[in-house]
Amino acid sequence: MHLWPAFLRLDGMDGSMKAGVMRMRFAPYVEFAKKAFAREATYRMEVATEVGSLVLRVYLLRSLWTALYAQNAAPMNLPLHSMITYATVALLMSLILEVDGTRLIREKLREGSIATDLMKPISVPFYFFSDGIGQTGLHAVLVIPSLLFSLLLVHIDVPSPAVLGAFALSFALGYCVNFFINFLMNSIAFWTLETFAIQLIVRWVSDLLSGQIIPLMFFPGVLGRLVVALPFAAVYSTPLLIYVGVIPPSGWASAFAVQIAWLVSFAALSSLVWRAGARRVVIQGG
Amino acid sequence: MPIIRTRDLRKVFRSPRRVPGAFGALRTLLSREYEEKIAVDGVTMSLEAGELVGYIGPNGAGKSTTIKMLTGILVPTSGEIEVAGVVPHEARTENARNIGVVFGQRSQLYWDLPLVESFELLRAIYGIPQAQYRRNLDAFIELLQMDEFLRTPVRQLSLGQRMRGDFAAAMLHDPKIVYLDEPTIGLDVVAKEAIREFIARINAERGTTIILTTHDLADVERLCSRIVLIDHGHVVFDGDVERLKNAYGKFRTLVLAFDEPVAHPVLDGAELEEADGATARFRFDRNRERADLLIRQASERYRLSDVTLEEPDLESIIRRIYVEGYAQPEETPR
Ligand SMILES: Nc1ncnc2c1ncn2[C@@H]1O[C@H](COP(=O)(O)OP(=O)(O)O)[C@@H](O)[C@H]1O
Ligand SMILES: [Mg+2]
Repeated sequence: MHLWPAFLRLDGMDGSMKAGVMRMRFAPYVEFAKKAFAREATYRMEVATEVGSLVLRVYLLRSLWTALYAQNAAPMNLPLHSMITYATVALLMSLILEVDGTRLIREKLREGSIATDLMKPISVPFYFFSDGIGQTGLHAVLVIPSLLFSLLLVHIDVPSPAVLGAFALSFALGYCVNFFINFLMNSIAFWTLETFAIQLIVRWVSDLLSGQIIPLMFFPGVLGRLVVALPFAAVYSTPLLIYVGVIPPSGWASAFAVQIAWLVSFAALSSLVWRAGARRVVIQGG
Repeated sequence: MPIIRTRDLRKVFRSPRRVPGAFGALRTLLSREYEEKIAVDGVTMSLEAGELVGYIGPNGAGKSTTIKMLTGILVPTSGEIEVAGVVPHEARTENARNIGVVFGQRSQLYWDLPLVESFELLRAIYGIPQAQYRRNLDAFIELLQMDEFLRTPVRQLSLGQRMRGDFAAAMLHDPKIVYLDEPTIGLDVVAKEAIREFIARINAERGTTIILTTHDLADVERLCSRIVLIDHGHVVFDGDVERLKNAYGKFRTLVLAFDEPVAHPVLDGAELEEADGATARFRFDRNRERADLLIRQASERYRLSDVTLEEPDLESIIRRIYVEGYAQPEETPR
């Protein structure tokens, strides 16, 4: 059974045919993304609340870091304005990264509706990914008002276009790593439906160890070296450190390499886990 | 060439034995003990293109399990399946293009979206050309009277409306084969009739091969000329509905109502089943006796206020097969 990479198998075709097939093969996924966008957009209250709570958190973090910096000027050579930029950009990133398209795995396994998707001529994991992209699309739109409101409260450094480009690339890689971390977490549901505790713990740990709240270089000694080596760092920390310049242009290549390494390993692992999970479904009947 | 063929199809479910008590869930997860459940036990059948077959059996007989194996989402334990030239569980997506599925208990529509958006999504999923999509959708909107709720989120539809939506969703891509698993369950009489009409037309006009599982024999009487009866995973009968009725239902019941009480009514050629003075029930073999002659005989002997002739219903015949097994009764030549 070729559940996972079937949509990528295009070998042995000439250029124009490939383009046609690509369009045809990707059409369902574009549609999944559009529908997810539309679906998310219907939850208007939630959307407004989200922007409101984000702006509030920007304000709180600014006050917190300002107070902490008053005690200890520029720890680790990260000046206060960089820290506030870091914290604000991290919050804006979280609007996009908190989207979890693979939550569908867990929900569909619980309801037993995964069978309906397996009865369609589609790659189901790629369906989850495109659903996530659609939700992300809506959340990306929210970044704009959130940013505007935040700018009333805080000043954010804007780096050079080259740095912004490197940040965008690193963020995209982090987004994909995050997708596969979520994918693996939700796939636990193939073996036991009681995934809540595991999810909660992983959530806490990743919030703390991804650099979303505290820059990872603030962790002391061995712990500091350990958290940087964990995959969670590839999600928030790497793009953010590129943004504020702690990772200089000379370090970009190796930073991307580490992110790509995580991405490839998690993608491979996810593929194995998905095969095993789907196999379980087709043998045991969900 | 049959379009669907199975040989000795078996499915045995193996699940870890549940451990009760504290940490039961964990111990169940680690346990090496299994229970086995034979859901389908050697089903052999074949369908020609364009047939509409009723797949009938009591709860737990293995109907849904068979359908799931035919769709490719369940791997058989042993035996062979071929559907439109492919082995479903080995070529899941290829098989998916040939089939449409409606499960009465489960919707394939997207819960949060207006009905029509689920259809659009399916158009993209199956790559249905725009013209074909428009033609099918228009036809289905009319046949299933969907225009009033086309833009309603599926979540807000009534069961009858949702089922109509599900039928349209299953047929948009013109599948060669359609599996219907209890599609009329829970519907009211009007909705049932609309669905039956739709099934009959799809089969007649498009030549779609259909397997229909149902517990409602009225569906079968209305739609199917052939039925496959299954019990405990075994096929107990496969053939013509008329033949079954003929073989098992060769008896008719003549019910007489008398003007004035008759103590011991008698009819030559018929057997008295029940009598209470005012009415009497006579059973006769319709292949040996003629109903009109029996009625004439009765009216010559007694003063009748009413006469009714009862046919055996499919339900009572099938109930008898489950109890006694199917032993081909000798068919009296007429
Ligand atoms: N996933 C499963 N795991 C274990 N047993 C199952 C599973 N699915 C069905 N069964 C069992 O297999 C038998 C046949 O079920 P099913 O095919 O759903 O029957 P029907 O559709 O005819 O009512 C039942 O006894 C049912 O409990
Ligand atoms: Mg069933």
